[in-house]
Amino acid sequence: MAHSEELIKDLEAKADVVRRNIFTIFDASQMGHAGGTMSLVEIVTALYFHHLKIDPKNCDWPERDRLVLSKAHCCEAIYAILVELDVLPRETLKTYYHYGSPLQGHADRWCTPGIDYSGGSLGQGLSFANGLAYAEKLKALTRPPSAATSMPRFIRRDNPLYRTYCILGDGECHEGQVWEAAMFAAKYKLDNLINIVDYNKFSLDGPTNEVMLLEPFVEKWKSFGWYVIEVDGHNLRQLVDALDLACNLYGDLKPKCIIAHTVKGHGVPYWEATHTHIGRGEDISRGVQEGRAKYGEV
Amino acid sequence: MARYSEYVKIDGAKAMVAEGINNGMIKAAARDDRIIAVLEDMGFPGAGWFKENAPHRAIECGIAEANAAVVAAGLAAEGFMPFIHSFAFAAVSRACNQIRQSILQDRFNVKILGREGAWGEPGISHNHIEIIGITRVMPNLVIVDPADIVEAEKAITAIADYYGPVFLKIEASPPPLKIFTDDYPFDLGRAYMVKDGKDAAIIACGYMLTEAILAGELLEKEGIDVRIINMSTIKPLDNEAVIKASEETGAIVTAENASIVGGLGEAVATALSEYAPAPLIRVGIEDEFSQSGRILPEIDELKTHFGLGAEDIALSIKECIAKRERLKKRG
Repeated sequence: MAHSEELIKDLEAKADVVRRNIFTIFDASQMGHAGGTMSLVEIVTALYFHHLKIDPKNCDWPERDRLVLSKAHCCEAIYAILVELDVLPRETLKTYYHYGSPLQGHADRWCTPGIDYSGGSLGQGLSFANGLAYAEKLKALTRPPSAATSMPRFIRRDNPLYRTYCILGDGECHEGQVWEAAMFAAKYKLDNLINIVDYNKFSLDGPTNEVMLLEPFVEKWKSFGWYVIEVDGHNLRQLVDALDLACNLYGDLKPKCIIAHTVKGHGVPYWEATHTHIGRGEDISRGVQEGRAKYGEV
Repeated sequence: MARYSEYVKIDGAKAMVAEGINNGMIKAAARDDRIIAVLEDMGFPGAGWFKENAPHRAIECGIAEANAAVVAAGLAAEGFMPFIHSFAFAAVSRACNQIRQSILQDRFNVKILGREGAWGEPGISHNHIEIIGITRVMPNLVIVDPADIVEAEKAITAIADYYGPVFLKIEASPPPLKIFTDDYPFDLGRAYMVKDGKDAAIIACGYMLTEAILAGELLEKEGIDVRIINMSTIKPLDNEAVIKASEETGAIVTAENASIVGGLGEAVATALSEYAPAPLIRVGIEDEFSQSGRILPEIDELKTHFGLGAEDIALSIKECIAKRERLKKRG
């Protein structure tokens, strides 16, 4: 069933709110991973404000969907959302990078409520997501099967106890471990695992495919045994449809990979033009100024 | 607390540490269904038990240690207790950064069993003598090096009862002694006094406890009464036992079949110099790499090469006592 125009409009408005919160973070910290955070905005908006099964009042709900942000340096986007969900108080936005703040420089499971994975060293998130997804399969074994007929182990047509989502950056796909993890997920038929690649085409040293060739990227994931969906990562309708499809295919015994084509620094012309990875001072203040002119202030 | 246990000599081949690990693993896995075996294509202690009783609790990750370490972290995040098993150089050193960020940072309940810590036939790549130094600097990680078949079994069940990350070193070569009887009270984090003595103390771990005991016998013949301490938990170190040994004997020798850089000897040296200074000699492998060497009950080529036999420890004890006396004279 197609989603209503209102929902998409509403999500687009939410994405703008998230961007404004990100500008607040950057304005206070004068430093941050601007490019990768901006390319991520629609993806996390679709997840948190529409798709994920979460309870902001109970971040440790055992049946919540898990989200592993493997590109943990772009946690600014998640912080911007957690504030909107009332998981974090609004004032914390201005404490990013500060000593003792719940907003650590890289996402940290024990410092920030609502964060499932402590990252920073890249290429490990998909492996962690594998562990969470495999654990769901193990936990499901102890639940009474809801289907009347007895299914072979690991094959159930109803919903999993929870799903595991992982967000990878394209640059970290240069890590060999990502492909170790890709093999693992396919081997253990982790159809409760949905991986999203924020394919913004740039890593720190330059264009991702010049730094190290990733293409043919879609074929790589397919040949590793994944079900691949390609979307425009800034089109919320495409994103929510792709996430729905990935969930509805549950039971096909394949992990899902959504390759979201995005633009580094999306929404802010200066950051789009410079492909800013991590900005300081002038880079940040100019981008924030342009962004606020376009999206308004909080 | 001072405790004393009789030790018995038996045929080496039957008393492999690996055998104890096997028994302990089966015992622990049978009573705790949170335990998951994470395999890295290097077999697993008690693999047959898992295959027969809980095949879904054995996860084969192949020769991909980085992924395996983080998969284990994910499982632990959901309340399971994964045991990773491979060569120490693969399970730990190959996945150092993964262990640091994904396991230790969040103090997840993952246990790592690393084989062939120091020596054996495979040679330089597998004889990972630096492993204690590498793991000792990692926060939140407990390090255990069991000495014989009995202690190995008890150590496995003890680390399963403890919540938190643990690295356990498995020496593949059989020590010629079965040191402990079945009523040996293994206490994680606590040293165990195998034999009391007043003239000097040997603090040993793992494989070298056997040599320490043999050295004690040699010295006894010469009228030197040494205390022998089994420091099977290398981190956190039982400082109390070190201080007591220092105050009551005044001469300490450490024995480990690992690099003395960052090893047990350094840990003891730190405790001594901060709390109870006394002369110390570290018996261990100098700052160099290992190589291949045959290990048979009657010959241990690398032990001879590195100077880690009972005679070497006995010599160090005498030297250490002489050092203490020189210091006394100097006043």
